Amino acid sequence: MAGHRPEPDRDSREWWERIARHEFAVQRCAGCGVDRFPARAFCPACRGEEWRWRAVEPEGRVESWIVARQPFVPGVAVPYVVVMVRLSAVPDGLAYGNWRGGREPRAGERVRGVYREEGDVTLVDWEPAG
Amino acid sequence: MPKRLLDFRDATAIAGVGYTPFSKNSGVSTLTLACRAVLAALDDAGLSAADVDGLATHRVGDSAPPTLVGPALGLTGLSWHLDQFGGGSVSHAVVGQAALAVAAGMAETVVCYRAINARSEFRMGGTGRGLPVSPEVQYQAPYGYVAPPQQYAMYARAHMLRYGTTAEHFGALAVTQRANAVKNPRALMRTPITLEDYLASRWIAEPFRLLDCCLETDGACAVVVTTAERARALRRPPVLISAAAWGGGQSHLSGAAGDPTVTAAAELAPRLYAQAGLGPADVDVAEIYDCFTYSVVVQLEDYGFCPKGEGGPYVASGATALDGPLPVNTHGGFLSEGYVHGVNHIAEAVSQLRGEAGDRQVPGAEVALSTAQPGYVLPATSALILRRA
Repeated sequence: MAGHRPEPDRDSREWWERIARHEFAVQRCAGCGVDRFPARAFCPACRGEEWRWRAVEPEGRVESWIVARQPFVPGVAVPYVVVMVRLSAVPDGLAYGNWRGGREPRAGERVRGVYREEGDVTLVDWEPAG
Repeated sequence: MPKRLLDFRDATAIAGVGYTPFSKNSGVSTLTLACRAVLAALDDAGLSAADVDGLATHRVGDSAPPTLVGPALGLTGLSWHLDQFGGGSVSHAVVGQAALAVAAGMAETVVCYRAINARSEFRMGGTGRGLPVSPEVQYQAPYGYVAPPQQYAMYARAHMLRYGTTAEHFGALAVTQRANAVKNPRALMRTPITLEDYLASRWIAEPFRLLDCCLETDGACAVVVTTAERARALRRPPVLISAAAWGGGQSHLSGAAGDPTVTAAAELAPRLYAQAGLGPADVDVAEIYDCFTYSVVVQLEDYGFCPKGEGGPYVASGATALDGPLPVNTHGGFLSEGYVHGVNHIAEAVSQLRGEAGDRQVPGAEVALSTAQPGYVLPATSALILRRA
């Protein structure tokens, strides 16, 4: 599918650049050590503004999913599945992506991210971890 | 609750409500809709434009702000106004802030309105408006995850997976609300439906079908907020604002979402009830933000009408029907009356408490809860408790 292009902001540009290199990164606060996703400048736990990127395995568990049946995005064929994944590396972090399981997802199942090149953009889909 | 909260319980009242017709194509601007609703609400209260010293609205760039409505109606004496960014999550906060302004003496007569050509111009449920609201959409939109029906469907499924909530539970709510709309001359959808009709309606975003989703509507609705004392001298029975609460919560779009089956309403509800000195058992009628069937189910839990996870069985038991212990969305709600972004829920609560709801009147209704979008799209929500004077 070819949906909307991601529109990185100043907090997230490097995250997308790392994804383009097939590196799934989260931020680790330099002050309190809490990991966070999505990308932003402040630590929501300690309000610190110092942090570093930390490459992690793109892994998580299925929290929920939908089967999109109505074409809300022009030019994108339905149906398609969007899955909501709770990241193993960030317990409060929810990531979204298209499902590449060949079957419906299962609640709580372990999944891993797989990179998809969409034109000049790299996206992350999810598949069963096996 | 802050220790020094101004005690404004029952200090202010809603003295009038006004509507434009609801339609699929109003043929007029949102400014025109807003002006018509404001004037209708004033007329209902027995007031004129010369009495207005405050205007308030909420919008997401899709309506007429007070700085346009004021001049259009020749309102030159405004001492307070509010133009709040936000969708349905702040609909009740606007009335709450108007009540605070009136209680504080900054204005005496504030008209709160929402005007929206949500069917013919800005479709909230679609993507024609671009992708605003939050930078977090960059992590979602590339995957075709862009519209509120999809977002709510995602959280509805999480609830189904965790608690065993079923399509039949959601269907029971849609059927019940349609039955209410049949008794509401203003409602856009007045043909009765059955559970079978619900289950046969087309998929939008599984687990949501068409009849899980509200009606995008052209229309406007307004309410007049003034002091309780002044309201008592006006044309209609005053409806007291016993509590108004609003606030933020965690983001459910991405990040920092501990439990996607709990909304910001769970945090807000205790503050709201404490302000009113009432609890869920005191509520006679509830007008609950129903952008989707599931938003009602989860709020019934988060506002304390049933235990967490039991919203589906609670609805299926008939509890929310007109003759049940907690009549919900007596006008048919957004699912069947029309979608005016929260304000028509407030107006229906007022009609019920005035005893003027016709065939759908809940006998003896004295206390009403009305709520806003519970915080799934913007991490904020708001609610009011209203009481017959």
